[in-house]
Amino acid sequence: MHTQTARSLHNAFLKNELSAVAITTHFLKRIEKIDGEVGAYLTVFNERALKKAEQLDKKRQEGKTLGKLAAVPIALKDNIHVKGETTTCASKFLTNYKAPFDATVTRLLEQEDAILLGKTNLDEFAMGSSNENSALQKTCNPWHLDCVPGGSSGGSSAAVASGLCAISFGSDTGGSIRQPAALCGIVGLKPTYGRVSRYGLVAFGSSLDQIGPMAHSVEDIALVMEAIAKHDPKDATSLTRHTEEYLGSLALSLEGKKIGVPYDFLSNLGSEAKGNFETALENLKELGATLVPIDLNLLNYAVATYYIIATAEASTNLARFDGIRYGIRSKEAKTLQEVYEFSKHDGYGQEVKKRILLGTYVLASGYQDAYYRKATQVRVKIIDAYEKAFEACDIIATPTSPLPCFPMGAIQDPLQMYQQDTYTIGANLARLPAISVPSGFNPEGKPFGLQLTGARNEDALVVSCANAYEKKAPLTPNLPPRYAD
Amino acid sequence: MPKSHINEASVKKLSELARIRLNDEEVRSLLPDIQKIVDYVGLLDEVDTSDLSPYAHMPEQSIHTLRDDVPETAISQKELLENAPDHIGSMIRVPQVLTNTPSS
Repeated sequence: MHTQTARSLHNAFLKNELSAVAITTHFLKRIEKIDGEVGAYLTVFNERALKKAEQLDKKRQEGKTLGKLAAVPIALKDNIHVKGETTTCASKFLTNYKAPFDATVTRLLEQEDAILLGKTNLDEFAMGSSNENSALQKTCNPWHLDCVPGGSSGGSSAAVASGLCAISFGSDTGGSIRQPAALCGIVGLKPTYGRVSRYGLVAFGSSLDQIGPMAHSVEDIALVMEAIAKHDPKDATSLTRHTEEYLGSLALSLEGKKIGVPYDFLSNLGSEAKGNFETALENLKELGATLVPIDLNLLNYAVATYYIIATAEASTNLARFDGIRYGIRSKEAKTLQEVYEFSKHDGYGQEVKKRILLGTYVLASGYQDAYYRKATQVRVKIIDAYEKAFEACDIIATPTSPLPCFPMGAIQDPLQMYQQDTYTIGANLARLPAISVPSGFNPEGKPFGLQLTGARNEDALVVSCANAYEKKAPLTPNLPPRYAD
Repeated sequence: MPKSHINEASVKKLSELARIRLNDEEVRSLLPDIQKIVDYVGLLDEVDTSDLSPYAHMPEQSIHTLRDDVPETAISQKELLENAPDHIGSMIRVPQVLTNTPSS
């Protein structure tokens, strides 16, 4: 069952070929058997999932209307709230925190009869590109167990890649859905900013954060987008524009489409990634698309811009973890000031502390104009550069990540780690929809990803172009041999 | 952009502003990375932004809609207090905030 797409599991359930309990039991058993070595899940909802499955089987038997995601087993990144369950953000600060409400995404998934299997590992507070910053657990790349799954939604990508759920959810602030999707050989979509409600997602960089789905096939991404891409009055940045048809646009052809390629910006690409990308471009051409050179050289400043804006926003967002209202409180604290200082000292890991201090620095009086304001202005220029590029093309193609999965511990230098997001950050700064779709392997069998970026609100176009690419060049094999049966 | 020199004292100062207690060893271990990143983001000096208004932030409003101001059922006090590390009855307990200083 784990080799089937979400859509085929859903259809099998509708046709009475599979029961929801059988599907759920299969995945829960697999998690029990395999997740000890993958480490994708932080929490597994054994009872909750089975209870929901029993309800669904009953609902089907009684002939009641079933949701768009009925019987689809789904995992959520552990920074998305599920009422009554823990939301740890993979931080020691929140190990005992129980969400008092459902995220809007959670509510919509349950409303559409999805089965929530559990919560997945991440870099602490979604800060990282390898999952090595999780304070709670190590997650392995299912293709190469000694390698990282990418990050920060590394638990979500590993869960899909090893067949421990059909669809998972991540959050993407600078590439945190797309990069782990690429490193784990699956599809990951960062929708247009505001397309999916952020209500109930623990905030990191509020002007950049976006929730999105990860799955084995583009079709499954389309299936789930129809359920979650909705306006939400509880998120003031939620888009009001109508939801596009995602499944309905899948058949779109690339014939005559113009694909923009920022050749200059990509000139530093290593030879392996370059070879892979060139093959992907050939496939796009064979599908009838025309390649158009575009200028996105300003993206050479994207990482620097991002590390000012994202850390500034993180330093304000994470101020709420004060040891007073929730999370841990240091036992040593004797004064109120010490409650804040000691609790943050004990609760946060090194990377989180580093980013809060950086954010505090770029917002500090005397430096704010030089750093934060400058970065917001460069961001405006980057947005303009994209807009200009989209006058000449329909979609932009780049690699998702400069490297395929790398061994744990291999990248120690923070700047080198931040460079892993060099191709993904632009879409967050400009609030564009972007998808990573598998584009083959390197000689060691490590997956690569092709990133397709669209103009704002062109989520359905991005998904349909990725679908055409996937049909032409499907990842073979699409499951790591170790977890194929 | 003012030339920034980050040293142990400035990291200590930042940690005070951010309310994160750090001992000397922790300050020393964070310093090299913070220096490196601050130097790196200085790269933005190369981008000419003189054509932009100093208030140019975002090309359009980030806030798309505001809700009507209608009362609705919120999360109960009881549920919220379940996450508080220390509470008495309906109140969150914290260490003493004000100290007794003799009045002059």
